[in-house]
Amino acid sequence: MISYLSYFCIGVGLIFWFWGTFPLVGDRSVLYKLHSLSVADTLGSMSIVFGLLLQIPSEWPLFILAIISLAIWNTVLGYVLAYCSSSEDNQQ
Amino acid sequence: MNLILIIMILALLIPIYEACKDNDIWQKMLAFASIATKTSVMILVISVLRGDWMIGVVGVLILSLGNASLMLLAQILKRIKIIDN
Repeated sequence: MISYLSYFCIGVGLIFWFWGTFPLVGDRSVLYKLHSLSVADTLGSMSIVFGLLLQIPSEWPLFILAIISLAIWNTVLGYVLAYCSSSEDNQQ
Repeated sequence: MNLILIIMILALLIPIYEACKDNDIWQKMLAFASIATKTSVMILVISVLRGDWMIGVVGVLILSLGNASLMLLAQILKRIKIIDN
């Protein structure tokens, strides 16, 4: 049962990855791509890491650290990239 | 688990293609940020697959440090653009 749940979480994460990464190839603006990419990468990767945590619960400190650093650093990186790329447009 | 890894490699090919194709620096930065996250999660999956926790520690280190270096790089790029303008 736990194994199925873990594979379900990993599958949801992979679907998120593809959903968020495909707009990267198109010709939309940087901010649009950044939004879909940061949502997909953060939530999808957290779901995958949670699936791995369900598979091997004995190594939970490592996986919890991975989930926390994903949640914090990916969000902050999204903000910084948006700030840097948009303030350059204001300068021109 | 091998199938999961193959699907992850397919997902990783999209940002690599984008980083090669696009000349705009911010699009390249986006692609690199995506590559950093995806590879580090792939390293975690490989560590579970092999049962080797040395690899897992490396994956968590890349997750927490790789994004920080990308943020510093974005700030430097912004400064350079302002000086150029």
